[in-house]
Amino acid sequence: MISRMSRLEIIGLKDNLPGTVRMLHELGIMQIDDIRSLQNVYMQPFNLTYEMMQKRESIDIINAKVNGLEDLFKKYFTTRPKDLEDSSSIDVIKEKVEQVTSIVQQLTQHKENLQDELVSLSKYREILKIMVPLLPESAKKSGNATIGALLHTTQTRSMNMLINQLRSMTQGKFEMVTVKVGESTNALVGVLPRDLVVSVENYLEREKITQLVLPDEYTTLSSGEAQNKIEKQIENDHKELDEADNRFLELASTWGPYLHAWQMTCLNILDEYEIYSRIGETEHTFTIYGWVPVGQVQSLKDHLHKQVSSDIMINELDVPKELRDKIPVMMQNPKILKPFEHLTKMRAIPAYFDIDPSKLMAIFMPIFFGMMVGDVGYGFILLILSLLLSRKVTKGIFGDLIRTIMYGSIWAVIFGFLFGEFMGTLGSVIHLKPILMDRTEPGSTMKLLYMVIGVGVFHITLGLVLGLWNALKHHNKVHILERGGMLTGLLGLLVVVGTMINILPASINLVGYILIGVGVILLGASYGKTGVILGPIEFVGLIGNILSYLRIAALGLASVFLAKVANDIVGMVGNLVVGILVAVLIHSLNLVMGAFSPTIQSLRLQYVEFFRKFYEGGNNAFNPFKKRVLLEAEE
Amino acid sequence: MDGIIQLAAALAIGLTALATGMAQRGIGSAGVGAIAEKPELLGSVIILVAIPETLVILGFAVAAIILMG
Repeated sequence: MISRMSRLEIIGLKDNLPGTVRMLHELGIMQIDDIRSLQNVYMQPFNLTYEMMQKRESIDIINAKVNGLEDLFKKYFTTRPKDLEDSSSIDVIKEKVEQVTSIVQQLTQHKENLQDELVSLSKYREILKIMVPLLPESAKKSGNATIGALLHTTQTRSMNMLINQLRSMTQGKFEMVTVKVGESTNALVGVLPRDLVVSVENYLEREKITQLVLPDEYTTLSSGEAQNKIEKQIENDHKELDEADNRFLELASTWGPYLHAWQMTCLNILDEYEIYSRIGETEHTFTIYGWVPVGQVQSLKDHLHKQVSSDIMINELDVPKELRDKIPVMMQNPKILKPFEHLTKMRAIPAYFDIDPSKLMAIFMPIFFGMMVGDVGYGFILLILSLLLSRKVTKGIFGDLIRTIMYGSIWAVIFGFLFGEFMGTLGSVIHLKPILMDRTEPGSTMKLLYMVIGVGVFHITLGLVLGLWNALKHHNKVHILERGGMLTGLLGLLVVVGTMINILPASINLVGYILIGVGVILLGASYGKTGVILGPIEFVGLIGNILSYLRIAALGLASVFLAKVANDIVGMVGNLVVGILVAVLIHSLNLVMGAFSPTIQSLRLQYVEFFRKFYEGGNNAFNPFKKRVLLEAEE
Repeated sequence: MDGIIQLAAALAIGLTALATGMAQRGIGSAGVGAIAEKPELLGSVIILVAIPETLVILGFAVAAIILMG
């Protein structure tokens, strides 16, 4: 059912505006129109005060920090923790966010430092690992020092010049080794008298040669000792990194579950600031325009008058012509119809003046499904499977489809009895006699085709009658002509067919042709000038729509013959076990197809053949100004 | 004569099934692309994909008429 909507105008003194906005937000039953988009309303939109803008900015920052924390904590969760409620005020939340952010910043800095240090130490370790075994004995003598330089592998000439220069500076008291470190770097380590170190270092600096300098704490150590110390330091750094990660994990598990609640609090406040720009203001007053379901208008009035101010004026307005197409649509159906409501919305949200087809869909979709499957065995299996699955899959398109299959499988059992089918042709084994017809009998095929055509005629006529009634109700001339024309033409067609198969007297044959002619003319008239061509085409399309219901018979026959093949194969294979195995496989395949194909086909019959006769569809879903809630809480 | 009638019925349904498949190939791949961008188009895509099936259904009707005489 589509809820009736009231258009409201709320006028009050500006002092009462914050209270009004908060109350409307709390109630969550009013869709607020943007004053800037309304015609014939000459009022400026509300401008936020400086304090309000400051507050909004600070909430924005808190929200950004919470989002940052969420991103950071995400990688520490294998599965997202269940969200927890936090009803603290925004000030308390701000304090908590600041506290967590500050710890996170310190930890992040600490981790970065450790990672940088690890990168450097790993390099030193690499170099020392290669160099230490090669260092000359003189490096261990007191009074001697080691000095290192790094050169690119392409600088061979520079290296030779450097070695010559160092030899001449130290008057030959210079021993050295060179080794390749990494892909493109040569390291040179020289041993020389300690008193010459300064002058050599100055020379290297002048020549812009990168020195291999160990951190201060390693400079006084011998290379071997430095290597050991570096190893230990790397081990310690890894331990500290693990500790930092554990600390992050601890933070994520403590605060992670609250992040969504904090986000909701921030977003709810930001939503309130956002809504102000939709409200009109004069020097002393404010005006809000919007939509409220008719049944909730009184409740809104009571709340605003009792809890904000009795001075607030709430007027119910007539819907202006220009807004008739923009009335928001709220569908209200019992829980059992919800899957069909969702499937209806999947086609399009109804327009405000549409008939809600959810109930009709809930009647016909399962029946068509049942007619296609039409097997007691398959019906029971599908019923059990869909019952089990419906507990696991409760939401989304798959949840809706599973529920429709569940209702459809009940009809499959009923039609199974009518067709006398149990796992295809095994009905006779359990003494199941067809009540209506045996679909496997060649003589029943035409009977089946007539039956589904009859179903199609009924379904489409119902759609056209509903469409015509709705068009008459809302004085829509185009739709009256179109649907009236189709209905008249269809009636004419039935009369002609009736006379052809001798149900009706041949004398009224002409009446049938006249009705078809009138119908096509009316149909053409609804399209205006192009109606001369489109009228007949649409009428042929209507016949096509009726023939489309043959798919019910086609799918049913395909299913029963596949089941027959499965049963017959048991005797044909020769080996009973293999035969049964193959039969089970074919039945399983048929069952999967029996769940999938009839669902899609019966959905198509609703969308294409049925809906088009009365359903317009719109895009204005009711979107009230309401508080955001955590998903878990919403469920 | 029976063989020719059966061949005619097979052609009626076989060729229309082939035509439906060819039409659905294009619509289906474009439809999946559209759903990837806008999941709310699922309803419209189902309709579009299902439209060519009328061909094979009509083929089925013709085949049934041929066979049932």
